[in-house]
Amino acid sequence: MLFMLFLLVFYIIGTVSVGLFFPKPLQLNINYALGKHGHLNSKIKEIPLHQNTDILFLGSSHCYRGFDVRIFEKAGFCSFNLGSSSQSHLQTNVLLKRYLNQIQPNTIIYEVYPNIFEIDGVESTLDLIANDNNYDYLWKLIVEHQHLKVFNSFIYGAFRKIVGLDKDYVEPTVRGKDKYISGGFVERKTSEFNAYFKPSSKPIEYKQNQLKAFEENIKLILSKKIELILIQAPVTRAYYSSIVQPQKHDALMENYSPYYNFNDRVELVDSLHFYDYHHLNQTGVEIFNQAVLDQLLLQQKEIR
Amino acid sequence: MLFNSIDFLFFLPIVFVVYWGVFRNNYQYQNGSIVLASYIFYGWWDVRFLALIVFSSVLDFGIGLKIDQTKNTKIKKRWLWLSLSANLGILGFFKYYNFFIDSFVQGFTFFGISLETTHMQIILPVGISFYTFQTLSYTIDIFRNQLKPTRNIVAFLAFVSFFPQLVAGPIERARHLLPQFHKKRTFNYSESVDGLKQFLWGLFKKVVIADSCAEMADWAFAHADTYSGSSLYLGAIFFAFQIYGDFSGYSDMAIGTAKLFNFRLQQNFAFPYFSRNIAEFWRRWHISLSTWFRDYLYIPLGGSRGNKWSTIRNVCIVFVISGFWHGANWTFIGWGVLHALFFLPLILQKKNRTYLDTVASNSVFPSFKEIVQMLITFNLVTFAWILFRATDIHQAILIYSKILSPTLFETPEYVYIDVLIRCVFLIIIFGIIEWIGRREQYAIEKIVSAYPRYIRWSFYSFIIVLIGVFAKTKESPFIYFQF
Repeated sequence: MLFMLFLLVFYIIGTVSVGLFFPKPLQLNINYALGKHGHLNSKIKEIPLHQNTDILFLGSSHCYRGFDVRIFEKAGFCSFNLGSSSQSHLQTNVLLKRYLNQIQPNTIIYEVYPNIFEIDGVESTLDLIANDNNYDYLWKLIVEHQHLKVFNSFIYGAFRKIVGLDKDYVEPTVRGKDKYISGGFVERKTSEFNAYFKPSSKPIEYKQNQLKAFEENIKLILSKKIELILIQAPVTRAYYSSIVQPQKHDALMENYSPYYNFNDRVELVDSLHFYDYHHLNQTGVEIFNQAVLDQLLLQQKEIR
Repeated sequence: MLFNSIDFLFFLPIVFVVYWGVFRNNYQYQNGSIVLASYIFYGWWDVRFLALIVFSSVLDFGIGLKIDQTKNTKIKKRWLWLSLSANLGILGFFKYYNFFIDSFVQGFTFFGISLETTHMQIILPVGISFYTFQTLSYTIDIFRNQLKPTRNIVAFLAFVSFFPQLVAGPIERARHLLPQFHKKRTFNYSESVDGLKQFLWGLFKKVVIADSCAEMADWAFAHADTYSGSSLYLGAIFFAFQIYGDFSGYSDMAIGTAKLFNFRLQQNFAFPYFSRNIAEFWRRWHISLSTWFRDYLYIPLGGSRGNKWSTIRNVCIVFVISGFWHGANWTFIGWGVLHALFFLPLILQKKNRTYLDTVASNSVFPSFKEIVQMLITFNLVTFAWILFRATDIHQAILIYSKILSPTLFETPEYVYIDVLIRCVFLIIIFGIIEWIGRREQYAIEKIVSAYPRYIRWSFYSFIIVLIGVFAKTKESPFIYFQF
């Protein structure tokens, strides 16, 4: 018993030391991703500025790269994009519990890329550990994952937060080809197109814990009387046609809420409107967002 | 069930508590709990193949009694042949059927005759090569009057299926392990702590060293057609560390787990990469298999007692069969042949028993001569590992042709420099600890035992931190499970 206590202290000191002093190649299971792809760090800091918003966007990179808040603003909708890197339903659940009462949106647009139901969600939890300042809700994810990377990064992250090492951190607005737009959108203006992808040979395999978290999210949103729209953002034609039985996913999503699969609703050209097999470039985003707006307006008319 | 899995993390404490908590006063019940635990452990992988283990166990249990009961040598021999043919027949069918069919067809195709054959979808039962050899040692030893058969079937079932070593050894002799099931076992705290230490070291070797090096080795072998000789040789070196970490790691975990139940299994690895020649390497690598072949094949064939040619023949037979034992592929046979070629000069010059002690046994550092000898031996072994790792004989030839070309001196074209740095760093730490502990059963057995408690605890915690920080998070099976 005494050894276990000793081990716990030694492990914490050891992990923190590796995180602080070892070069990156020697930090295999410590992945403290402060300020990475989805600009979650910047978004969370912006949340107090976006209370009582019209639309809240949720989802993975398809969300934060797919819904341009400026386009929605022009159309008269005040919106906030809380999408983050590989955000799976497990992390959406944590974010909703943490921030839904603060943001209080009228409508939530929830991006439901099928692949997100198949992943373990570790990448997104690591994103939350490094970029969210509140650890109260993260325990559930740590227990859920039982993953060394999550566990070690949590220890290291907690140390950094306690000591205040990240307190003055300001996330750069431009990172590589990406530019962060206030309101949560990440813009990529490029004409380059990387067509490579590995076709899947199997139908979508839903992870039970993801499906459960997704259902919990739906319940939570609807319990707050918030209008919910599920959307599948478009991917390249080549990739979409390689997905086995995509209509099954459509049928499943339709059970929960109004659902629109924009792969069937917008005319896009792979090489012109995407920068890789499943991410839109800015030209693609504009076409896609206009289609979403049209649908929104149509829906509002129908309600009236 | 894998030792490096979450399932085992729950399974082991439950078995431990039942064994020592519920049945501590009755070794027969303890044996029963081991049989049950072992069958659950094995059935976790595929419950259907439990029938094979039960069949093999019951058959050899019965044959053992029959051999003992009869005085007639001819009848004894018949019973032994039944045991040999049944066990090797099952092994042959599951492991070698498709190989023989393929080789047969290829042989005829070579002479211009085309044959139509059908392949069978045969799943190789995990551990079949290991427990088959273990049960065979039982009937052979009874036949040789070196062992009395047991009349306790539960003890015998426990001996055959003992879960720590069921799927990848060490291949225990009935003479050594079976008597341990026949006596009362009491909980021994220091033995259990020793077992946990050995398990910890085995886990480190598997999840940190082997799994990290696997990334580099897999990368090199997957690009055999495009990479230079230097990259491929570097890949082979990483494979050498991978297979050592993987297999000796498994053995350490098996021996350590057995100690928790107060069983002693034989040492399976004795720091083989510190060997000064190939003969010493084979005394230190997969000891339970090498000694099995020595006692049940090499010596019965005549060993080195005959003339030069019979010695050459016997060495070649043992190495070829040893290679073939590993898998139904010409690459394994080639690996055995290559080792036979490395070994023969030593045995013919009677230098195979030159190094029976541990290298630098009385000093901290090896001499220059010893360093050169170890490097040469390591490189010979690594050179042979290429055949072991290659997917087929064509890939092995391709890699050898590149390694033996001027591209061996080109800069390796590894893309993942981060992985390379990490592997080298870990191998250095690993090498230092192994070197310091080379005189013991396993490297960390006594490395800090003379120091105060806080130093000992810090050292074990340090190993756990290394596992926590560097373990590959994806569970990967042990290489020897496929044999």
